[in-house]
Amino acid sequence: MSHEDSIFSSNNKNQEVQGRTVGFTIMIMIIVVVAAWMGIQGNNSGIAGNSQLYAEDLKGFNRDAWYLSDDVLWGFVEVPSGEFIMGSNPAFDRSAYENERWSDLERQGKVFLPTYYISRFETTIAQFSIFAHESGLDLEQIGLGGAPRFPVYNITWPDALAYGRWLESKLRNSPNTPSAIKSFLNEGGRVTIPSEAEWEKAARGDDGRVFPWGSQPTSAFANFNSDEVRAVGAELCSICAYGLSDMAGNLWELTRSPLQDYPYNPSDDGENLSEDALWVMRGGSYTDSLNNVRTAVRGAVDPGVRNSTIGFRVVITSR
Amino acid sequence: MASKAKTRNIKERSSALPAATTGVSPNPLVSLGNFKLPFALTFGLGILALTPRIQSNETLAWSFIAAVLFLGIWCGYLLMQSNREGEKHTFDLSLRPQHYIQALVQLSVYVYWGYYWEPSPGWRPVYDHTLLILGQIIFAYVFSILLSWSRHQNYTLGFGPIPIIFSVNLFLWFRDDWFYIQFLMIALGFMGKEYFRWQREGRSVHIFNPSAFALGLFSLVLILTNTTHLTWGQEIASTLTLAPNIYVFLFLIGLVVMYFFAITLVAGMAAISLFGLSALYSSFSGVPYFLDSEIPAAVFLGLHLLVTDPSTSPRTPLGKTFFGVLYGFGVFLFYNLLGVLGAPTFYDKLLCVPLLNLSVIAIDKAVRSIDFRNLLNVWKDNWLSGRANLAHMFVWVIVFGSMSFLGKTDGKHTGDSLPFWQQACDDSLPNACERLVQLENTYCTDNAAWACNELGLLYRQGSVVPRDDALATSYFEQSCELKFKAACINLLNSNSIARDDPHELDLRLLLREGGLNLMDVPLGDLYVKACGHNWDFACQKIQVSL
Repeated sequence: MSHEDSIFSSNNKNQEVQGRTVGFTIMIMIIVVVAAWMGIQGNNSGIAGNSQLYAEDLKGFNRDAWYLSDDVLWGFVEVPSGEFIMGSNPAFDRSAYENERWSDLERQGKVFLPTYYISRFETTIAQFSIFAHESGLDLEQIGLGGAPRFPVYNITWPDALAYGRWLESKLRNSPNTPSAIKSFLNEGGRVTIPSEAEWEKAARGDDGRVFPWGSQPTSAFANFNSDEVRAVGAELCSICAYGLSDMAGNLWELTRSPLQDYPYNPSDDGENLSEDALWVMRGGSYTDSLNNVRTAVRGAVDPGVRNSTIGFRVVITSR
Repeated sequence: MASKAKTRNIKERSSALPAATTGVSPNPLVSLGNFKLPFALTFGLGILALTPRIQSNETLAWSFIAAVLFLGIWCGYLLMQSNREGEKHTFDLSLRPQHYIQALVQLSVYVYWGYYWEPSPGWRPVYDHTLLILGQIIFAYVFSILLSWSRHQNYTLGFGPIPIIFSVNLFLWFRDDWFYIQFLMIALGFMGKEYFRWQREGRSVHIFNPSAFALGLFSLVLILTNTTHLTWGQEIASTLTLAPNIYVFLFLIGLVVMYFFAITLVAGMAAISLFGLSALYSSFSGVPYFLDSEIPAAVFLGLHLLVTDPSTSPRTPLGKTFFGVLYGFGVFLFYNLLGVLGAPTFYDKLLCVPLLNLSVIAIDKAVRSIDFRNLLNVWKDNWLSGRANLAHMFVWVIVFGSMSFLGKTDGKHTGDSLPFWQQACDDSLPNACERLVQLENTYCTDNAAWACNELGLLYRQGSVVPRDDALATSYFEQSCELKFKAACINLLNSNSIARDDPHELDLRLLLREGGLNLMDVPLGDLYVKACGHNWDFACQKIQVSL
């Protein structure tokens, strides 16, 4: 081998070694960067950018209390213990459906409920958004949008329960939670959606009225026969039972009671497990006519359904 | 001194090349020459990026655009360097049967399996992936050309990149939102082929099977970062069995590869080892080792098409035999190891191939050190008048036929029965509870509400798996949304342990034995099948109806 050949050969070898070093370096860099990127981003996907959190204050809602109402009990209203009349009497309410009849012998029944608290308004988009943000729910995937003051919709029955569990943990752990609420929780209360009975008592009070405001039809206090949902608190109803808003119309409200024939008896809620789950919803929506926004009307929905006419409100109950 | 040597180097290299491809271009303008091909392919990749399928996802579209820009810049840089220094980059044409036959066989798997994997009417993920595979093939061609030229080597133009891409995508592909990592995986596969080399029998050859290297490396990353959900890996592994008689299909196409490339010893011995180990495990433990068969379908695919690359496997018959046996043992051990670590077990077939590739020289050396000619050539001589491969294939046909006859491939498998695993778990048989959780998880992913509720109960009770209330709740939520009332009750009350027998829709999913769901099967037949799978309530229903 000549001197020049040897230079050529060693030069080739040097280039080969150099090229290989560069190649290995690039490969290692790619692997390290990809692994780091996947480790960081891969487990965050679906959370970032999910939530529309609201920088501005919402009038009437407390930003520091997960946008619950800005009043003494953070939007909760106490419903005192006692009996109320459940179901419909067709003699008194001509629009009554068959499934509102208490039994073959009785048209209506009396149900006793211990004290509980119920939210004055339907749960809002602002409230649900914070929960969704913290839980990694993808609001865009749910198809939820709209102004923060509007009631949340397109949520499933488990979503509503999950919100209740989340809010309960917030209320339990916050030093600012109103003392009445906190002590109720400490005595065994929990935040969830209302039972059918809790919802109906809150809607009609203990005087058996047909609508939340009384027994005469009017469109003054409820959003029904309409084209669009309205913001919560858009129409306050001081004459409604317990001063609650939108117990008639706006959005159907989910309950934690399975659809079963009356007489109402929560102890049999866990029976008939082989049947498909179907949960009672109450109150009618903005698309419904007057007869569907009565306090005794019983709708029902599959637990997995998302619909733009269905929302919920929460209760704090000892049951 | 250095610059003199460099000049000399270029001249020497130029004069060593064929006349048609040598010489410094006298034209001062940039001459495209052989760069037309990589530029054209890159342009093609750009066109592909404009198709509706790629445009359907923003990240996917940007992944393609980034790939085009990267390749375009690299190509442009090499072109300028080439024109400046007068170095010619050339192609050698080589159409090797091991590439195009392998590619055709792989293609047939895509077509067959892809047809039956139809999660929703009209949507077949494999077919939907076609343009993405095409994009990867184009990327692979350009990348490998440029890599070779960057290293001052000729590029051997043939069908080589196609089976590599097909092979990678038969086991792992990233979801649209993460597709740029797929391009990186392909790039690393080719870089591994180029940079990890050793001298074998006097020739410089690549150490790792390129697709197996990329798959092994990224499997490791996905496991370590717990990001398997960014890929379709789990779905790919579990949907192969949706295609009817997939084992027979893979066996038949495997015979084609075996006939042409004499890989029977590797594939056959891997399969026989796995069959043997599974049988041994079952006889000692009382439970099957794998869930859906004696060899999972994806592993059966792997041992035919992933581990059998002749360039990265031993040369001697006995070496191939060891290689196959080691693959069988490797998969067997990795399956258990991954299960213990809580990682997805489908990586078992991918992780051991690079390790085996590394052991090839040692295997060859060990085999050749056996100073006993008869043993060394035990599989080689005097079989079928010297046509040893045909003889090996014949033995393999007999073995597979026997296994099929015994119902160890496409037929019903003990591991398909959930009541079997529930009982085995109650009896504390080895791994039974882990398998039960794994199986229920699979069916829950299929939206079998019963399975989700059972899984939720396992996590709520915390006796079989560590108690995890959040996870339990998420399973109850899924089950409840599927209208399983017991799950809704469990969701309402954090102390509730409500359960029910599988509902009709659940049975249509639970009894599919890894195949298609049973949506059109009459209810009576469904209960008969359920009774055959040890569902007592189904047997009672049949008795009542009689």
